[in-house]
Amino acid sequence: MRHVTITTGDTVERFDVADPSGWNDIAELLASRLVPGDIVALSGALGAGKTTCVQALAKAFGIKRQPPSPTFALMRSYALPKAIRGIKRLVHVDAYRIEKPDEILALDLDEELADGKSVLVLEWPEQITSWLMRHISRIDVSIRGE
Amino acid sequence: MKAFTILGLESSCDETSLAILKVSTSSVDILHHETATQIPIHQRYGGVVPEVAARTHVAEILSLLDRATLFPKPKVDAIAVTQGPGLATALRVGIETARAMSFASGIPTIGVNHLEGHLASAWLVKENRAQWKFPILALLVSGGHTELVLIKDFCSYRVVGRTRDDAAGEAFDKTAKLMGLGYPGGPILSQSALNGDSTAFDLPRPMFHDKSFDFSFSGLKTAVRNTWEGLSPKKQKDESVRNDLCASIQEAIVDVLVKKTLAAARKYHPTAVCIVGGVSANRHLNDVMSQTLSRELGIRVLEPAKGLHTDNAAMIAAAGAWHFERKKLSDWKKLDAKPELDL
Repeated sequence: MRHVTITTGDTVERFDVADPSGWNDIAELLASRLVPGDIVALSGALGAGKTTCVQALAKAFGIKRQPPSPTFALMRSYALPKAIRGIKRLVHVDAYRIEKPDEILALDLDEELADGKSVLVLEWPEQITSWLMRHISRIDVSIRGE
Repeated sequence: MKAFTILGLESSCDETSLAILKVSTSSVDILHHETATQIPIHQRYGGVVPEVAARTHVAEILSLLDRATLFPKPKVDAIAVTQGPGLATALRVGIETARAMSFASGIPTIGVNHLEGHLASAWLVKENRAQWKFPILALLVSGGHTELVLIKDFCSYRVVGRTRDDAAGEAFDKTAKLMGLGYPGGPILSQSALNGDSTAFDLPRPMFHDKSFDFSFSGLKTAVRNTWEGLSPKKQKDESVRNDLCASIQEAIVDVLVKKTLAAARKYHPTAVCIVGGVSANRHLNDVMSQTLSRELGIRVLEPAKGLHTDNAAMIAAAGAWHFERKKLSDWKKLDAKPELDL
């Protein structure tokens, strides 16, 4: 069982995910709300299910390829087979290996977001809070175990 | 075939590396090879520092070229450079260097797939070249990759299986991190495993009974986390308990890698199997793989490419040489990074 908290601005919602298929419901909900330029900040401990959540989101967007963990690669992007509300691309970023907030600059995330057709999902957002704070268009998703 | 020399440049992620290979019909010699690794920085900060990596690529590649007295007009017949997969900002350092040299000297460039480079690392071992007969089944295992690739011919590949979530090297590093082992966790975990009992903890073998040749390691990470958190603080500090857990983790990862490789070998009938990438330095994986494939199918596992397990430019030059011999060149004017490149 996982407890998922979704925070959008001042709104806080809580959900329980009892089994792997539960992630699909969370993903559908997120997918229905996202617009280009949005960031989904996904936090949770090692093994909490962050990548599983991103895989469900990719599925909700109709992406065939199942996103593997981007920890080593830092960033991977996926084209949507069909644009959804202007979203044409899902960018999956993992800040796990990032030690200092400045290091995120090497990924040019601002440029990735500036194309007006991408949504960015970020694992380990706590590693780069100062960069994240500059971005208002954000949904925070926090995953906790039992 | 006339002998030729080829320059290799690699800057896809954390390492900056340069190599010069001389290739003839009878031999392949590494004339020069230097890798500016980020490991001293890792140790200082206790983790990988990607931004430092991306920024230092520029300085590193220039000093590597200086030391190889190559810039701007290298005396080589071709320049091979990693085109992807990798980080766009890091890849472009190598690519722009290759383009500048090609523009200044007229020497042709070859954009190389980083994964193909890993496959070619096995070919750099003399004993392996002597029995290099297609098809060869390669298990590519590293921090970012876990792929089973059928090498059908030079420059002709088919990915028959891959990880659906975490890479095998990542599973080593992250489970080590959960146990509070140092960095890099994988090698430390393997070292501790030597003194442990691999049957002490019952850990899952994800996708073990799945018919595909795909892998999954994220469930193992969660299982290790639950196991570790279930231990009393006293037991967590007990060295023999830690060694047992390390051995059990390693066994679970190796078991899955070997079983899937064996299943793929049964289907595709390769003449040999090779293990490449950072995790190919793991002794236990090599031993179990060799014993299993020899016993079950009479297939041998090629020699590990010692010193060429992790990212390096010699393997990029080697893959570039395969393309050069087949006149598969790139147009330097159009050469750009392909961060999402696949085999």
